[in-house]
Amino acid sequence: MREVYIIGTGIHPWTGFSEKVFSDFATVAVDGALKDANIEWKKIQSIMAGIFIYGGNAGHLTGQYLESIFGETGVPVVNVYNACATGSAAIRMAYNSVAAGETDTALAFGADVSPQGFLTAKSDNAVQDRDVIRWKMTAMPNPVYWALECRKRMAKYGTTEEDLALVKVLMSEYGSRNPDARFKKVYTVDEVLKSVYVCDPLRLFEICPVSTGAAAVVITTDKELISKANKPVKINATTMGSSMYGDPTIRISALSCPAVPEAPMLSESYSASRQAYEKSGIGPENIDILELPDNSSWHYLVYLETCGFCKEGEADKMLRDGQTKIGAKLPVNPSGGFSSHGEALSAQAIWQVIECANQLRGRCGERQVKNPKVAMAQTYGLMGNSGTTIVTI
Amino acid sequence: MGNMTNMVARIPNLVDWSTGEARLMSRKCDSCGTYFFPREHYQHRPGCSREGVKDVLLPKKGKLASYTIQYYACPPPFKTEKNITPYGIGLVEFENEKIQVAGIITETDLKSLKLGTEMETTILSMFANEEKQEVVTWAFRAVK
Repeated sequence: MREVYIIGTGIHPWTGFSEKVFSDFATVAVDGALKDANIEWKKIQSIMAGIFIYGGNAGHLTGQYLESIFGETGVPVVNVYNACATGSAAIRMAYNSVAAGETDTALAFGADVSPQGFLTAKSDNAVQDRDVIRWKMTAMPNPVYWALECRKRMAKYGTTEEDLALVKVLMSEYGSRNPDARFKKVYTVDEVLKSVYVCDPLRLFEICPVSTGAAAVVITTDKELISKANKPVKINATTMGSSMYGDPTIRISALSCPAVPEAPMLSESYSASRQAYEKSGIGPENIDILELPDNSSWHYLVYLETCGFCKEGEADKMLRDGQTKIGAKLPVNPSGGFSSHGEALSAQAIWQVIECANQLRGRCGERQVKNPKVAMAQTYGLMGNSGTTIVTI
Repeated sequence: MGNMTNMVARIPNLVDWSTGEARLMSRKCDSCGTYFFPREHYQHRPGCSREGVKDVLLPKKGKLASYTIQYYACPPPFKTEKNITPYGIGLVEFENEKIQVAGIITETDLKSLKLGTEMETTILSMFANEEKQEVVTWAFRAVK
C-alpha cells in the first residue's frame, strides 16, 4: 500500500435547520478543501461521497450532484451510507483508492441538512424496514437507547449525574473556542443539572441535537502535491468495524439485546479501533488527541473504555481527574465534540478527521493542543457501524 | 388489558394474547441457541448452520435490566389518543432465554422503578381505528 496524505480540508460551519440545499453546504466545504490543498478541481481523480438520506434522489447521489457543480470530469464517483459513520466510509474508500494505486488524488466529502426535531422513521413499512417498529410500538427516539445504557453504567460503575454534567461543561468550554461549532455558550455543572430531562438520566444539555454541516478532505499520494501542500498529514490507518455476536449493547433501532455478554460493548467501535491500532502500529498510549463521538455524555465515558484508553469503569475517574482536558495527558474532543456541533450524519466523521488534521497542523487557535504528533478520530453509527482514523505529522 | 376480542396490534407478529395473557413472539435457533426479537431480527452465532429456527413465546415475566423516563412526546409515526408523557421505557430481561427486550412501561409508578424489579408483559391500547378496534402494542408493568 502507498503512503497517503491529507493535503486539504474544508468545513461549512455547523448550524441549525436551513432552507438551503445540501449542495450549497457541500460546495463551501469542497471549495475550502481544494483551496487549502492548493490544487485545481481537475486534479481530483475520484470522489467518495456520503449519502444524505433525507435528500431523496439527489441526496443519494450526492457525489454526482457535487461533481456537476464543479464540472463533470468522468472520474469514478461512489456514494456510500453507513448511518452516522457515513463519513468514515467515504474517507476509507478514498484512502483505499489512493493507497491501492487506483487513483493518486481523491476527494471525500459529506453534507447534511438537518430534518427538524428528532430523527424519525425513514419509511412506513415495518415489514421491509424493521426500524419502523420502535417508532410505532415502543416510542423510542435515539436518546432512549443511550439513556438505557447510561442507567446500566451508573448502576455498574457509579457514574453520577455530576459526571454526566461535567462532560457538557468541558465540551461547551471547547466549543466556545471553535468558530465552526454550532453551540458556543459555556455552561457550569449547575446549569447543566438544571436543564430538563429528555430521557432520565440524560438531560437536554447532555445529548446532541441534529445539525446541518459539511466537510471535505483532499487526500493524495502524489509527491509533487504533497511537497507543495501546507503541512500534509499522513493517514496511518482508516478502518471500519461492524458489531460482534454477543455484544450486550442495545443498538439504536433494535428492540432487544443479549443478556449475557460474549463480546465487548459497542463492539463495532472496539473492532474498528483495534483494526486501526494493528494496521498503524500505533496504540492508545501513543495518541495525543482523541476525537470521540459524544452523542451523549454517556458516550464520552464509554468510548474512552471501548477504545482502550482506560479499563472498563475507569473513564469517570479520568474525567474527574482532568486527564481528558486540553493541556493534560489525553485531550478529548478539543473541537467541542458532537455536544457543541450536533450530528450532521454524512459529514460528522469527516469533520472529526479534519479537527485531528488541523490540530496536528497547529491551526486550531484558542483550542489548540500543544505540539501534538498523533491524533485519532472515532465515530459510530446505528446498527453496527463504526470508523477509526489515525493521523500523524 | 382491554377487551381482547376487539384489539388489533398496530404491527402484527410481535405480541400474542390468544391464550389470555400477553406474551412476546420470539424465535429460537436450535442450532446456536439464540433467541430473536422481533422474530425477523436474526442474530445467529457466526458459523451457525441456521437450521431449526422455530417460533416461541417469551415467558410472561422478567426482570427490569434498565429503564428511562422519556419526558418528550415521541414524534410520529408514534400515536396515542392521549399524551402519555412522561412515560417509562424498560429493558426487561428474560433470564433463561438470555435476551433483554425493550417496551413502554405502563400501570406502574415510575418513581418506584428499580433495576431488578419483577415485570410482566401486558397490552397497551394506543388509539381506536376506523373499525373502532383498539390498536395496541406490548408493554411491561411491575408485578404487584
